[in-house]
Amino acid sequence: MSIRKVSVNRRRFLQASAGTGAVGASLGGIATLTRESGAQAQDTPAETPETKIVKNVCHQCPARCGIDVYVTNGRVHSIYGDLGNPIANGKLCPKGHFGTYILYDPDRFPGPMRRTNPDKGRDQDPGFEQISWDEALDIVAERLNDLRARGESHRFAHFYGRGWGASCAGLYGAFGQLYGTPNSAIGHSSICSDGSKMAKQATDGNYSYSAYDYRNTNYILNFGAGFLEAFRPYNYLMQIWGHIRTKSPKTRVTTVDVRLTTTGAAGDRNVIVRPGSDAAFALAVAHVMLTEGLWDREFAGDFEDGRNRFAAGEEVDPETFEENWVSGLPEWWNAVVKDATPEWASEVTGVRADTITEVAREFGTTRPAMALFERGPTAHTNGTYAGMAIHALNALSGSMFAEGGLMYQMGPAYGPPPAEADDYMDEHASEMQDRHPRIDMAGTERWPLVANMMQEVALNHLADDPYKLDTVMFYLTNPVFTAPDPTPWEDMLRETFVIDTSPFPGETAVFADLILPDHTYLERLQDTPTYPFEGWPMTALRTPAVEPVHDTKVFGDILIEIGKRIDGPMGDYYREIDSTENLLRHLAEGFRDEPGDNGVNDFESWKEKGVWYRKPYLWKQRRGRFYEWDGEGYNREMTEDEVAETLFKTPSGKFEVKSQLLEQHADYIERELDVPPERAGFPQYIPPRHTGGEGDLHLVTPKTACHAEGRGANLPHAIAVMQPTVGGNERTFVEIHPDTARARGIENNGRAVMRSDVGEVECVVRYYPPARPDTLVLPMEHGHWAQGRWAKERLSGHTGYVTANVSDPLSGLACYYTGKVTIEPA
Amino acid sequence: MKWGMVIDLEKCTGCQACTTACAMENTNLPGEAWQDVLFYHEGEYPTGQLKWLPRPCMHCEDPSCVHVCPTRATYKDPEDGLVLIDWDKCIGCKYCMLACPYGVRFFTDEPARVSPDIREAYPDEEKEWSPPYEMPEHKQSARTGVGVHRKGVVSKCTFCAHKIREAPEGVSDLDPDDPELVEYVPACVRTCAPTARYFGDLDNPESKVNQLIADKRGVRLLDHTGNRPQVYYLTGEGGAIPAFDDKQS
Repeated sequence: MSIRKVSVNRRRFLQASAGTGAVGASLGGIATLTRESGAQAQDTPAETPETKIVKNVCHQCPARCGIDVYVTNGRVHSIYGDLGNPIANGKLCPKGHFGTYILYDPDRFPGPMRRTNPDKGRDQDPGFEQISWDEALDIVAERLNDLRARGESHRFAHFYGRGWGASCAGLYGAFGQLYGTPNSAIGHSSICSDGSKMAKQATDGNYSYSAYDYRNTNYILNFGAGFLEAFRPYNYLMQIWGHIRTKSPKTRVTTVDVRLTTTGAAGDRNVIVRPGSDAAFALAVAHVMLTEGLWDREFAGDFEDGRNRFAAGEEVDPETFEENWVSGLPEWWNAVVKDATPEWASEVTGVRADTITEVAREFGTTRPAMALFERGPTAHTNGTYAGMAIHALNALSGSMFAEGGLMYQMGPAYGPPPAEADDYMDEHASEMQDRHPRIDMAGTERWPLVANMMQEVALNHLADDPYKLDTVMFYLTNPVFTAPDPTPWEDMLRETFVIDTSPFPGETAVFADLILPDHTYLERLQDTPTYPFEGWPMTALRTPAVEPVHDTKVFGDILIEIGKRIDGPMGDYYREIDSTENLLRHLAEGFRDEPGDNGVNDFESWKEKGVWYRKPYLWKQRRGRFYEWDGEGYNREMTEDEVAETLFKTPSGKFEVKSQLLEQHADYIERELDVPPERAGFPQYIPPRHTGGEGDLHLVTPKTACHAEGRGANLPHAIAVMQPTVGGNERTFVEIHPDTARARGIENNGRAVMRSDVGEVECVVRYYPPARPDTLVLPMEHGHWAQGRWAKERLSGHTGYVTANVSDPLSGLACYYTGKVTIEPA
Repeated sequence: MKWGMVIDLEKCTGCQACTTACAMENTNLPGEAWQDVLFYHEGEYPTGQLKWLPRPCMHCEDPSCVHVCPTRATYKDPEDGLVLIDWDKCIGCKYCMLACPYGVRFFTDEPARVSPDIREAYPDEEKEWSPPYEMPEHKQSARTGVGVHRKGVVSKCTFCAHKIREAPEGVSDLDPDDPELVEYVPACVRTCAPTARYFGDLDNPESKVNQLIADKRGVRLLDHTGNRPQVYYLTGEGGAIPAFDDKQS
């Protein structure tokens, strides 16, 4: 047994990959394991090497779990959850452990790469040659300075997906302002989850995902969120699951989805609805809660005399109802809810009426009870209204800002940055402000309510409407593969100068003129303020576990270095910012006045602990009154104005089931969705407009628990456990009801082709009798044509190639789950 | 002492973090799931059922694998109750794989379950492959089947022997929430987000694992075989272990 020999092999590996052995001695956040090894083999070296633990943050979903990275002899060999991080609590989801592999992925770019082959296409080898960072950054700067000198700086666009914090995506705003482009940056949120943000904006005035007090809730009514598969923060949700399912009383969970998932199976009741019909189910729950008097009167209000006049089909006199924190309840009842009986909803959803009534009574009689949802209901043309209908249940149950209910996330106590962009404006920057619309037309008459519209960019560019882009730069997004019906992106990337920053090969990189490779996350210094979690502020910090394995640079520094090379005061601004580390040091100054609960009060202690957080959440609603934390308890009652300013940011300062925001856009809504103007503000069911042409089967394309953001398809260990529910351990399968398959002559495990009016996808089916006979399920995962050696051409194919580019006109969310397809044997 | 594991099926979410934590800690090949989660479905829309069963090596008190091993490579350690494989003695005959009622053993030279073969990306002459993230050498041990697998042998879950054998003497339970003990906790137990797994000394009547087995009526898988697993399942109120059929996985 020659372990010595093996160690030589490993050294050779490290040399080949340009690795450097030692961990920087200056690294903070390192704890040392000093215990002696008690079970050593005889051929163990005499001296046990020191193992260090470095604090970092997982990068495989948005959750931001703090991780302990184990490093011995400059090599990372394991990753576990950080016990001191309030999301991770020492745990991880299945993806978290793959980080070691991502660091050492053999397909990574060795450094900045320049394209030598002028021809671009899927099958064209870019002919990349490695260049130095100075050369690469100078190429970008020359291009951007020329564009700016020609007065065309708006034709430069940034695109990003998973922004982490102030030290990466947070830099975009100033870059756009100083350079003079409205396209810094186009975020991916419209191909992510903007439906839930819009639904909340329209009803409670917060354009945000919610934070949740799961720990104290007694009922969860979940519409289409992959609570035990993909909903964020997944790891924490599973921790919560272990708690709420064994506490007293046990939290009851009803899942409403279009398919049977582990979430549905693990809960108490799984209700399978027709795709796009969730709003009808939610409205019927509201109907039962109101007719049976199960709503929270202290929060929502009541009839003047306390007598319940909500009766099916009968209007009420709004004058007789005294509203408290819910605005428009009697009007909503009269316009929508009075007719939304369980019998009606049964017709729409395909669920038995008595099941709907039972769920409504459970939800209505349990407190605290929360309703939650994500893309399942909202990735349809009726998605915003569906989300509003579901969210309105939180108004009826009184769970808004209540114990065991929902709230919104507070931001971290950051100090000011080293420089303010406003002080570095030149004439060009000022002239370009508001001069051109964004390339995606977000915020224009075309998409008046949305934040981003990434999926429109390629089409707009190709149509020269509003203009053509010249140079495009991508960070953690790959729309040429992931956007709905993405092939127009190939045409756009063919005729623009493309800069990709992924450390890995991918579809964008195939079209790239320049690769400026980012570090992988274990090599980064980067802040990660939390996604909406439990409300109280938190921001974790990635600290490099090892020296960069390749010649890469953290994205924030790439942006700053480009900025320094731009002519005029913009360069001065970035010289003042200096580096992401300098920026983070300034931000951390804010912790001095507001030290974290774990003692973090400056940059060094932030690195050491890996996270700053400060409890509690400052506001709470109890029995229809709002209170603010006074240092000891929720004791100071808030005024209506304070609630309006801080919590319900709607025009009325209340939870609006008659949305004034949507009423302001009634004409647009009538034009796009045929909703009569007098109904525009109400949460309601309108039939979804299914896409795909003549298809007879719904197609749903979820993410699985091992969908590691952007890299799952190229992680061999993830591939092996990707779709366990139906045995998808080498490829993914289309889950199909056996009757549906047999009627089309498709055998179990047989090859098949799915088609829509957009395109076709080769796939493999697996019989799954719990599936709806009219619905196919295929995880969005495989079918890559350039993501690395394991991803390439793995079946089943890519769902995007049968998904139409159609979006909810209100939220802008791409309707990923509303497509219809046909399927036949291959 | 006698190390044992308790798995609460009422809490298990079927996420497979146990599988991946184990695979990365123990440098298993893709799909070589020492710690598998088996999924089953029954019934039909709209009343279909989906169930799952996490399955480590049971480290049986009377292990069939030990009885059939012709070279005594597979052995039961009387000190702490672990069933381990000495890769220096294993000849890869696979008798143990046939004898094990739980299907938890793997032959290291199987064709790749995920292609292309990861072993070709990280080749090694002595061992099965040379993963860049392998555990430090002093943790690896052929005699306990810990570390990068040897070629032509059988491998399986060791209860993370390299971790638990360094635990302070006399400890009743390895609680992953205890900063003093977390380094000694098996990977699957440590990472389990819903805390569906517990690990402790079955010989100690005061241990948490014995408390759970007593309070929640812990059961063992395929008890009729007489193997007497040191892994117990808690099935929750009215729960049951899904019909165990290894071929279905």
